[in-house]
Amino acid sequence: MKRESLHIIVLMVFSCSISSAQDALEIIRKADELMRGKSSYAQITMTIVKPEWQRKMTMKAWSLEPDYSMIYVLAPARDKGTVTLKRGNEVWNWLPSVQKVIKIPPSMMLQSWMGSDFTNDDLVRASSIVTDYTHTLLGSEAYEGVECYKIQLIPKPEAGVVWAKVVVWISIKGFLELKTDYFDEDGKSVKSFVGSKVKSFGDRQLPAHWEMIPNDSPGNKTILEYDDLKFNISMNEDYFSLQNMKRVH
Amino acid sequence: MNLFLHLAWRNLWRNKRRTLISTSSVFFAVLLALIMRSMQNGSYDYMIQSSVGLYLGYIQIHGEGYWDKRSIDQSIVVEAEKLQSFASNPQVTHVVPRLESFVLLSKGVSTKVAQVIGIDPPREDAMTGLAHRIHAGRFLQKNDTGILLGTGLAKFLNAHCGDSVVIYGQGFHGVTAAANVPVVGILKFPLPDLDNTMSYLSLEYAQWLFDAPGRVTSVALMISSQAQLANVRSQIERMAGEKTEVMTWQEMMPELVQSIQADSAGGILMLLILYIVIGFGIFGTIMMMTNERSREFGVLISIGMKRWKLITVTVMETIMISLLGAGVGMVVGIPVLWYLYLHPIPLTGDAAAAMVAYGLEPIIPFSMAPGIFIAQTVIVFSLAVVCAMYPLLVIRKLKPVAALRS
Repeated sequence: MKRESLHIIVLMVFSCSISSAQDALEIIRKADELMRGKSSYAQITMTIVKPEWQRKMTMKAWSLEPDYSMIYVLAPARDKGTVTLKRGNEVWNWLPSVQKVIKIPPSMMLQSWMGSDFTNDDLVRASSIVTDYTHTLLGSEAYEGVECYKIQLIPKPEAGVVWAKVVVWISIKGFLELKTDYFDEDGKSVKSFVGSKVKSFGDRQLPAHWEMIPNDSPGNKTILEYDDLKFNISMNEDYFSLQNMKRVH
Repeated sequence: MNLFLHLAWRNLWRNKRRTLISTSSVFFAVLLALIMRSMQNGSYDYMIQSSVGLYLGYIQIHGEGYWDKRSIDQSIVVEAEKLQSFASNPQVTHVVPRLESFVLLSKGVSTKVAQVIGIDPPREDAMTGLAHRIHAGRFLQKNDTGILLGTGLAKFLNAHCGDSVVIYGQGFHGVTAAANVPVVGILKFPLPDLDNTMSYLSLEYAQWLFDAPGRVTSVALMISSQAQLANVRSQIERMAGEKTEVMTWQEMMPELVQSIQADSAGGILMLLILYIVIGFGIFGTIMMMTNERSREFGVLISIGMKRWKLITVTVMETIMISLLGAGVGMVVGIPVLWYLYLHPIPLTGDAAAAMVAYGLEPIIPFSMAPGIFIAQTVIVFSLAVVCAMYPLLVIRKLKPVAALRS
């Protein structure tokens, strides 16, 4: 009798964990779908905040899942016309002032992109929060007054992910990824990616203000503000060619 | 006293062969120790000199935190008056401002990461002799808009004098630094590391390119002597002002300091073994000499010679032998070392390759620092004096009757 009841408890716990895993995966999938489209266009203002200085840049960005994206810098004047093109694992830059296309060599991939807290590698790395991680629902928690699912993501061994653990807060209403914490092997939070100021872009409600906060260097952050965002626009791979890179504006 | 000296001197030459053997054992000991230590110290000095003189300088002034981050964002504004005030320190021989950054250099389809340094051409040349490294083309001038490339870098990019290369990197506070610059000269460095990565712009042009007007990432100082380092450093620290860091070459290259310390400890151990061998050599000859003369000592004591007088004379003999050996060792050692100092021994083969890999020219340099001569001579001389204690003990305990019969 005792043994049987134990079995039942084990079974219940087991089934519970399965259902929560499915729930977590479902939540992540919904949130991810909301953030992505087959293709997208955005106009972004990026502010680099350092303890002693700040720098603001505006840019246009196009992307075509999963391999292509292109960024055109509008301001400041000195950098206007600079284009960054991502094709698969490669990053190319078009420098209008010297009329030259330069491929970023592997040794420079971990350097910061345009002085921001993003690296060239961040632009290229295409890990999917849906397929590259195992998800666990840790419960619900209010983040900035919004009730959220708190989900822990552990990278799968075969996924090329540098983080040991990622924790995301996804709003119960609307499935918005409001906060993502990245942890290293020592369990220390390395950086946080935080979204706020929900706006409607077409038929979607999304945070328009994002902050990348590296936790090891206080006073530093990179702010991304989406001035415009469109999903599933019509474009194909040809748009992301080295030739077109020199022509976009 | 004069009589004792006279007697000791005569005793020495009573048996010329014995004296010559003792003297030469001291002589070889001094010579060996001298050459060994001179070689070690020479190579340390050389390592320091080549790292410090070739680029780093004895002291560098940076913006706070620059040395850790090596980012142009930590650059500082250093006015001409401030450079003047550094130069006005009597110990400071060179003041060299630089603006350093890592960039991509590109020509045609090749792109390579390179270190680019904005330099004040005459000052840089005065300190590091950069103009003499020009292999083709010309050296930079003030306000020059051209670039100098290391041979390895130029070869990789397939760039020759008159060609243009594209510089692409990040300037001050994240601005894009991109420019087309003509190659005006190719530099040949003895060290492949420098050859493959170094490129130079004029300071003014680099400041424009990186959007950092008036800024430098470092000011390198050469001083008249290593001995003044701590002193000059504290003076410069007071002058440098806030938000700066003043570092000595030891702080900038702790690995060099450590490798010297480790190697020096090994060298001292070798010297210790050498001293032990030398000590027993000297002791052996003195013991033989004493035993040979025990009959003579016995006769002298039995006819009424005071023991202390006898001891004084024999100790004087030993000191004379040591002085002679050490003196001849110096006389022979100095020209030999002087020659080696001027003509360092070139290395070949694997050893040479290892040195080149460390960024050094493959030679065995020698030091002519007076400290070495004094230290080695004093050490070997005191070894000889310690050995002179043996006849002293023998004479004190000598039984004339037994000695006469031996």
